[in-house]
Amino acid sequence: MDPVSRQLHEEPTPPNLDANRKPIKRGQSQWMIARRRLLHNVPAMISIVFLFIVTVLSLSASILTDIDPARINPMLIDAKPSAEHWLGADNAGRDIVTMLLYGGRTSLLIGFSCTAIIIFLGTLIGTVSGFYGGKVDSILMRFTDFMMNFPFLVFVIVVKTIFIDTGVLALILVIGFLGWTGAARVVRSKVMSEKENEYILSAISIGTKPSKVMLKHLLPNVMSTIIVQATLLLASMIVVETGLSFIGFGVPPDVPSWGNMLQTARNPGTLSEKWWIWIPPGLAITFTILSINFIGEGFKDAFNPKSSK
Amino acid sequence: MSQQVQLDEKKDIHVDKEVLLEVRNLKKYYPVHAGFFKRKVGDVKAVDDISLTLKKGETFGLVGESGCGKSTAGRTILRLTESTDGQVIFDGKDITNLSGSLLREKRQDFQMVFQDPYASLNPKMMVGHLVDEPIRNYTNKSHKQLKTEVEELLERVGLRAEDYFKYPHEFSGGQRQRIGIARALALNPKLIVADEPVSALDVSIQSQVLNLLKELQGEFDLTYLFIAHDLSVVKHMSDRIGVMYLGHMVEVGDKDAIYKEPLHPYTQALTSAIPEPDPLIKKERIILEGDVPSPQNPPTGCVFHTRCPVAMPKCKEIIPQLKEVRPNQQVACLLYDKE
Repeated sequence: MDPVSRQLHEEPTPPNLDANRKPIKRGQSQWMIARRRLLHNVPAMISIVFLFIVTVLSLSASILTDIDPARINPMLIDAKPSAEHWLGADNAGRDIVTMLLYGGRTSLLIGFSCTAIIIFLGTLIGTVSGFYGGKVDSILMRFTDFMMNFPFLVFVIVVKTIFIDTGVLALILVIGFLGWTGAARVVRSKVMSEKENEYILSAISIGTKPSKVMLKHLLPNVMSTIIVQATLLLASMIVVETGLSFIGFGVPPDVPSWGNMLQTARNPGTLSEKWWIWIPPGLAITFTILSINFIGEGFKDAFNPKSSK
Repeated sequence: MSQQVQLDEKKDIHVDKEVLLEVRNLKKYYPVHAGFFKRKVGDVKAVDDISLTLKKGETFGLVGESGCGKSTAGRTILRLTESTDGQVIFDGKDITNLSGSLLREKRQDFQMVFQDPYASLNPKMMVGHLVDEPIRNYTNKSHKQLKTEVEELLERVGLRAEDYFKYPHEFSGGQRQRIGIARALALNPKLIVADEPVSALDVSIQSQVLNLLKELQGEFDLTYLFIAHDLSVVKHMSDRIGVMYLGHMVEVGDKDAIYKEPLHPYTQALTSAIPEPDPLIKKERIILEGDVPSPQNPPTGCVFHTRCPVAMPKCKEIIPQLKEVRPNQQVACLLYDKE
């Protein structure tokens, strides 16, 4: 008899693998482990707190100040910072602090909602395309290529020129429906590598429906990629808003946004002498984006099983 | 050939009650595309024309070296990959062309235990949910009912009921394989295809898992299609054995016949490679020359002729068919061709 089968005959199956294991405790999911890692990441935690404060301040703008952000006050044109108006007023006499608060509301709204639309569409198209492969994949990816080659900036400018009265919502929709292509490709490639794992085959073999395989098995495992993508997108969407508003094709001029506030800096006189008009929104944008990027990096490290943090 | 057909027909007569699974001329080709226009330039013949029959309650061992198409055969039989040609008859019903919800309905009766316990469990799911997922797919049981059922299953496969709340990464390979077995058992299937269930485990753990599978077979009335490349493992587990080489079934027979009196030169070489613990017994070891040819461009005639120590000129031309040479032992080799 060879060694293996001899062993097979002699060893009975032990009923419990390890009787003196530690007392029962609930297992730790990978999410919990990632959360613990994130909590230990100082820059990311500072950034999360910062972003939270910025969001809360923007949302409670109407409570914090009773000045109408759109009110043009000829008495205050180019007013310097004072006790009453902490950061002064701009060239239309609008209070900078109020504008910052309300502007944050617009910029963050655009950033978050564009990201939401993009991530939703990108995940949907990327997952379906990567999971089914073959013809479905070819069709969806050619469509993605087509959308990707769409000149984004030109399209936004044309839409904004045709529909002059369109507000923030139109901008969100245009950016959202044109911007999902990159996210779709990233999600698709991740899904394609993830679905090769035997657990997907195993889910099919126990009779799980394809839709459920995608939702319950694939999505949780590509979620880390999606979250990191989303944070990077959030930062770039705020930049897109700022950029478009700066060149005058973004948010309508009467709606305060950080990008609109920067627009005044296009005037050389303002730029060289009236720092209080453009430095605050500039700093707000810089710090917000910086913190979002730190959060993104923090997520990336937290989800990476190889990082030791 | 006519003899072969008759044999099959004879078997068909007592198919109804005894036979659980019948595979007829199963083929799985993977197309190879090349060039700028992605033209099809050939096929990788992973499984080329294999037939086998599984009686209820028996264990059929499928052996062969890596890359010979054992796993592909297992997956194709369970319709986890689509077959190119052939028929799979499960419990009297042809499941080859079932699709969508009809196939899903049938899947309750045949389950699979996977090779890699590290890749075959979703790392994001709690053990309890991994094991109750198959039950949830087919029934509307309450949460409480599910939990008691899962705990029973976990205990039956040698884990603890408390493991319900743990995640796969907290277990060792052997324990994970037990979770995989619990998952396959959850639906009370008739057939389990075990695709190298122990090849990723330590030898000491292997025996525990194999014995568990054996115990469960009696308890749950299971039929196994046991795929492995370890000959002693297959010997321990199987009643009948099929030997595969390069996508072809070269020999099928009862365990003892295959191990004591192998007929096919390839089987002879394989069995001569089983280590012998007794140093006093001298064994003639047949060492095969060369490598396994590429399945994309298999040799003409008998696929084994390039490495066969007793090849004849006609082996290059004629494709041998499986023939019953002795009772309960079929071999596909021209050596036993009387014509």
